[in-house]
Amino acid sequence: MKKLSLSILFVIVASLFAARAQAQVLVIANPDFKADSVSKADLHEVFTGSSTSLKASGHVVPVLLKEGPVHVKFLSEYVGQSPTGFVLCWRGAILSGRGTMPKTFESEAAVVDYVARTPGAIGYIGSGTAHDSVKVLAVK
Amino acid sequence: MKSILIGALAFGVAACACAQSPDDMNLQIHGYAAQGFLYTTHNDIFYANSSDGSAAWTEAVINVTLQPKPSLRVGVQARYQLLGSKGNDISLDWAAADFTINDDFGVRVGKVKTPWGLFNETQDLDPIYMWALLPQSIYDVTTRESDLAHYGAVAYGKHNLCAQCGNAEFDLWGGEQVVPSSDGQFDDLNASGNGPLNPLEYITFGGALHWKTPIDGLMLGASDADNRPATVTLQGGSEWFAEWNNLSYFGQYTKNKMMFAAEWNRQASVAAVTLTGQPVSAANSDPRSWYAMATYKLTSKLTAGAYDSQYTDHAAPLSTDRFTKDWTISGRYDLNEYLYIKADEHFIDGSALSLDPVRNPNPTPVYRLTALRLGVSF
Repeated sequence: MKKLSLSILFVIVASLFAARAQAQVLVIANPDFKADSVSKADLHEVFTGSSTSLKASGHVVPVLLKEGPVHVKFLSEYVGQSPTGFVLCWRGAILSGRGTMPKTFESEAAVVDYVARTPGAIGYIGSGTAHDSVKVLAVK
Repeated sequence: MKSILIGALAFGVAACACAQSPDDMNLQIHGYAAQGFLYTTHNDIFYANSSDGSAAWTEAVINVTLQPKPSLRVGVQARYQLLGSKGNDISLDWAAADFTINDDFGVRVGKVKTPWGLFNETQDLDPIYMWALLPQSIYDVTTRESDLAHYGAVAYGKHNLCAQCGNAEFDLWGGEQVVPSSDGQFDDLNASGNGPLNPLEYITFGGALHWKTPIDGLMLGASDADNRPATVTLQGGSEWFAEWNNLSYFGQYTKNKMMFAAEWNRQASVAAVTLTGQPVSAANSDPRSWYAMATYKLTSKLTAGAYDSQYTDHAAPLSTDRFTKDWTISGRYDLNEYLYIKADEHFIDGSALSLDPVRNPNPTPVYRLTALRLGVSF
């Protein structure tokens, strides 16, 4: 009984660590992206539609995940918004004629594929997703 | 001018879209619908029987946007609106082609939103802000048709200032404003049987500057529009408007869960009404208005806020008809990214705004307004 309890406890703790590791966010960009890093302020500007370019890299194309823990964590850490607030921010731009919703994908693999073949594309994935075809940016 | 702009817009879409699929053109459809409820302790507000409780406050918007290439975006937005006994029809919000010249400059042409003040471009978009009603001192829902959009163009851009200076965003616009004869500014004339026979049309041009300061989250700005003289034919006469300006100074500060904003506006005008068999009467006004607001995100779904809003017409005789002061407390709950509920309680003193003369021949100056909204956006 004691062994069973310890095993269950071990599985629960391991799951928590696994979930935390999966939720670690990587910012990725097209391989031709000039810069190796990006600031939090720049990510905020690009992903809220305030800017379509970065000084070191020129024109940028933001790419979104539709939902999920990586999406929530990215928005919280780098955009400072909840998923609902983020969507409403973009709807304001769309409904006032100032913008369109960035490309949005259901899966991280689809984000990687799109970023790899789109010049200027910048997106985010979990660290557990294969990403050999894209560049990982350090966030300052 | 309107038909030329819309024809150019249609040509632009056709030229770019003929060989592309909807997916290639990034076709997007968005919109919202909102149902409101109004209750006033005295008076009837917004052309509705609000003293008995009124649900005659409904909006629905549909937006279709295409982006056939990265430098070109084309869109159109239509609206159904009911406000009390007014509206109950479908109108064109905007229809525009947006050309991005480079990352720092672009031009939008067609029927375009006019970017003055802090909230003019979004004042009619209920899902976007937390209040059931924006401060009516500047964003009066009964006269917003005269402010929202114009036929013409907007040139927009941004410029990075020095390393420690932040950056500046600008808008320059020009074109023709068309004010329908049912607009709230003609309420008194319509009530007396001398309302406009046609829309009021005038040339407008202006500029706005937003300075994103080096202080993270702080934006300061100003806008000014110059509106050229115009005349509108009335039933039994005419009304002439001298050149007038729409001047705003505004600021907004956002940090973590808090937002503060304030705006001051002045729209002084000289006008004269000439009716058959009557001497010319002056219709001057000098409204100077301001508001200060604050919101706080209590949870990821619940936001609370308050504002103080004041409107005073310095050209009007001294009376409670000269001003409206409005203290408001408000809350918004987002059930999810689509569905939301809002509730405002307004403590109002003054009868200058929002009370049409037909329903309110002798308005009570001190009253409360409860405004509720249920909306869905996509």
